Amino acid sequence: MTKHRTDFTPDQAQGVVRLGRREFIISAAAAGGGLAIGIAPLQPASGATGNKLPSIQSSGAEFTGLVSIAPDNTVTIRTTKCEIGNGVHTGMAMIVTEELGCDWNLVRGEYMPPNRNLKDGNLYSKTGALAYFSGRSTGKEMMEQLLQVGASARERLRVAAAQKWDAPLDQVKAEKSMLVHVPTGKTATYGEVAAAAAAVKLDKEPELKPQAQWTFLGKASQRRMNLPLLLDGSAVFGLDVQVPGMVYATVRHVPAHGGKLKSHNFDAIRTMPGVKAVIVIDPNEGKRGLPDRVTAPMGLTATTNGPQAAVAVIADHFWQAKVALDMLPVEWDAGEGGKWADTKAVYAALADAAKDTTKGNVLRTRGDVDEGLKSGRRVEMEFMTPYQDHFVMEPLNGTALVTADRVDVWMSTQHAQQAMYVAADETGIHPENVHVHATYVGVGCGRRIYGDDVRTVVAIAKKMQGTPVKVIWTREETTRQGRYRDIAAAKITATLGDDGMPKAVDINQAASRPIGRNLSDSPYQLAIPAFRARTKPFNTNIMTGPFRGPVYTSNCFFLETFINACAEEAKIDPVEYRRRLLAQWPDKGWVKALDEVAQKANWGQSLPRGTAQGVAIGNWAMATSTDGAPVPNSGSTVAAIVTVEVSRRGNVAIPRVDIAFDLGRIINPDAVRAQMEGGVILGLSSALNEELNVANGAIVEGNLDGYRAMRQADPLLPQEIHVHFGGNSGHDRFSEAGEPPMGPPPAAFAHAYFRATGKWVTRQPFTKHMA
Amino acid sequence: MAFELKVNGKTVSVDADPQTPLLWVLRDHLAMTGTKYGCGINQCGACTVTIDGQSARSCNIPAAQAVGKSIVTIEGLSPDRTHAVQKAWAELDVPQCGFCQSGQIMAAVGLLSKNPKPSDADIDQAMNNLCRCGTYLKIRAAVKRAAELV
Repeated sequence: MTKHRTDFTPDQAQGVVRLGRREFIISAAAAGGGLAIGIAPLQPASGATGNKLPSIQSSGAEFTGLVSIAPDNTVTIRTTKCEIGNGVHTGMAMIVTEELGCDWNLVRGEYMPPNRNLKDGNLYSKTGALAYFSGRSTGKEMMEQLLQVGASARERLRVAAAQKWDAPLDQVKAEKSMLVHVPTGKTATYGEVAAAAAAVKLDKEPELKPQAQWTFLGKASQRRMNLPLLLDGSAVFGLDVQVPGMVYATVRHVPAHGGKLKSHNFDAIRTMPGVKAVIVIDPNEGKRGLPDRVTAPMGLTATTNGPQAAVAVIADHFWQAKVALDMLPVEWDAGEGGKWADTKAVYAALADAAKDTTKGNVLRTRGDVDEGLKSGRRVEMEFMTPYQDHFVMEPLNGTALVTADRVDVWMSTQHAQQAMYVAADETGIHPENVHVHATYVGVGCGRRIYGDDVRTVVAIAKKMQGTPVKVIWTREETTRQGRYRDIAAAKITATLGDDGMPKAVDINQAASRPIGRNLSDSPYQLAIPAFRARTKPFNTNIMTGPFRGPVYTSNCFFLETFINACAEEAKIDPVEYRRRLLAQWPDKGWVKALDEVAQKANWGQSLPRGTAQGVAIGNWAMATSTDGAPVPNSGSTVAAIVTVEVSRRGNVAIPRVDIAFDLGRIINPDAVRAQMEGGVILGLSSALNEELNVANGAIVEGNLDGYRAMRQADPLLPQEIHVHFGGNSGHDRFSEAGEPPMGPPPAAFAHAYFRATGKWVTRQPFTKHMA
Repeated sequence: MAFELKVNGKTVSVDADPQTPLLWVLRDHLAMTGTKYGCGINQCGACTVTIDGQSARSCNIPAAQAVGKSIVTIEGLSPDRTHAVQKAWAELDVPQCGFCQSGQIMAAVGLLSKNPKPSDADIDQAMNNLCRCGTYLKIRAAVKRAAELV
């Protein structure tokens, strides 16, 4: 049975260890005639050429500071987080730019190599692994660090200019990469004084500007830094890496996760064109393990990144390897997973688990629920969400070169640090000697965090010592070897009081990861006299993983659909119903977002027959107290109104979606808008269309011929998405924008569909149940 | 077996099985990696190029079939990202992760060459590529903007 020991939790994302600003150790050094500055002692690093592959640094002498300023006035900002499309690379550089006062047009971005961080004593990941190597740029500690480095660099430049002009410091202004002596109008570029600035010693590091004085962050939107490279195909994704002398491999893992390889017959393909070898990955062979006293911050577990039984064909070219692997006779033993004969059996067992009130973990209880359920109008519903694949646009892949004492890995990864530890664990080579060359990433969404793909790539390459091997999963293999969206089911029961509001709510949920986010921590509970939320783990052999808001996406659908059903039963307007449920909730961002979306979507308007609007609200990554209570002014709140049209023949369309949110504050409005729009589409695609079926422990669907990921011509594609910014509370946090919009739109759709047809859809994918 | 292809105006020699899909000849033999592998079954459109001016999904075309024809890939669209479609894509900041965008851009190029003023429905039907980041509405707007810029 699959167990999940590590998880993508907001606690990790927001950092556990506090690193106060005073503790930063700012180091500056001369570098290539310019200035390098960072929080770590700066050391020379070997570099290569080109910036189309972001991990590769400029040629010649290089330093590992977070920021370098070259004599030609260009600014290089090194980021620990990989660009997965969420704009994090751009966001981090923008944050530095605010305090550095450089010209944004002169900024370029690179990735910080994780083994350099390790050699520097983990100075870039002090506040938690995820906070520094995955996710967003706007976590509190991350922002403070980036702002401080920018400010400290700017201050050194000002001092250097003041010395050069023999002028008092307060007469020197730093702006747009220029230093200006205000009384005389003399100017110098940052690059011209950068080398002198490297020698400046400050008595103390400068204080950060108050946010009210920001001139760059939260103002005009900036386009993603790598945009030009995406317009002519020159951005290097993992799939595009070219290493001299490399060979190609394609891999097939045991179709039933956790099973074994019974036999294969290399002789059958040995003489096929280009074929060089067949490599077997045997999970029982034993990995080498990390060296003494080295631990991986995110953990190395069998279920998150352990090896699966597999065979790989090595050939001169990918196509030769693919054709040969298709011809290779292979027999598998499904193992324990074989008992899951079909999807129905999985769903039945999952529903039973959800309904079983004798087991599970009560995450939150208030009042006497059993007593409260004895009287009043009863509302009861059952829900289910299936396994779904991330269907990352770029199929899984990676390139590795393993030698006796060094590993190089070129990887499309969300987490370069985790990739380093997985490669070290697989080879036994010290992580300091593991060089992860991270690339741009063709969709992350959680699929590329834990490094099971890295494990496979390195396991193959270590058997081809000295030869670089590029391993490409076919699309079918990528889909069938996913770490899927968690499967989940719930039965929710409530009784309504005379005022139509819930007086008792009993939630019983089961999921492959027993997480109560947006269920047990719902702020509605403040207005419900008796409230209980119970969860229990349910797993098959099929592995799951974070999928753009793990379990949140299921729970939000369950709870919000249920609340809509209560409101409809009580004949109270569902927006008003939520206002009442949130009346005692001190976080006013919820009602603000709800009111904003209701107003902008013209909620309550009269609509033609067959057209209806539905509403939902949710919060991703809200903090909870130790006893599970919701913490106000935390996480990202999103409210959605979906408009649905159902024709007389039953054809369904989504003419419009409206979204409002409270992230506290934001730094790049267009980047937030892009995340909201994309999250609406991915959230609706998964809820409406997507389902993976199971046969004898293996996933059936492999490609777009069987798996309906929403495309441009999908009749259910929302025709308009309106993102409204008026719900933002201005609270002092910069919460993430990627996961939150995945939650409410499916529930808002189901609500609109009910209002148009009188039928609740409570199981995903909706298209299977709407007919 | 060696054969010749005309890619982005140049004639290049390829030593590969002529039945190899054009996609893999471009990527692995000619190191032109802007054209992407997404599904391999003629569905997602990440591998879109133009052949004799028509958009075509290179994962599904044996290289032999492209011999003697004029193939244009994302790398050959313009020397400096100034093709109308590239300009429109930049103006609207269409990409998120960007992996599908070479194919989206080439599909738009093919569409506009046949239909200079496409409607929303024309765009949806002619492109129908997959973008897992969900940039579809921006793509639609950018195709229309490109139509103005042509």
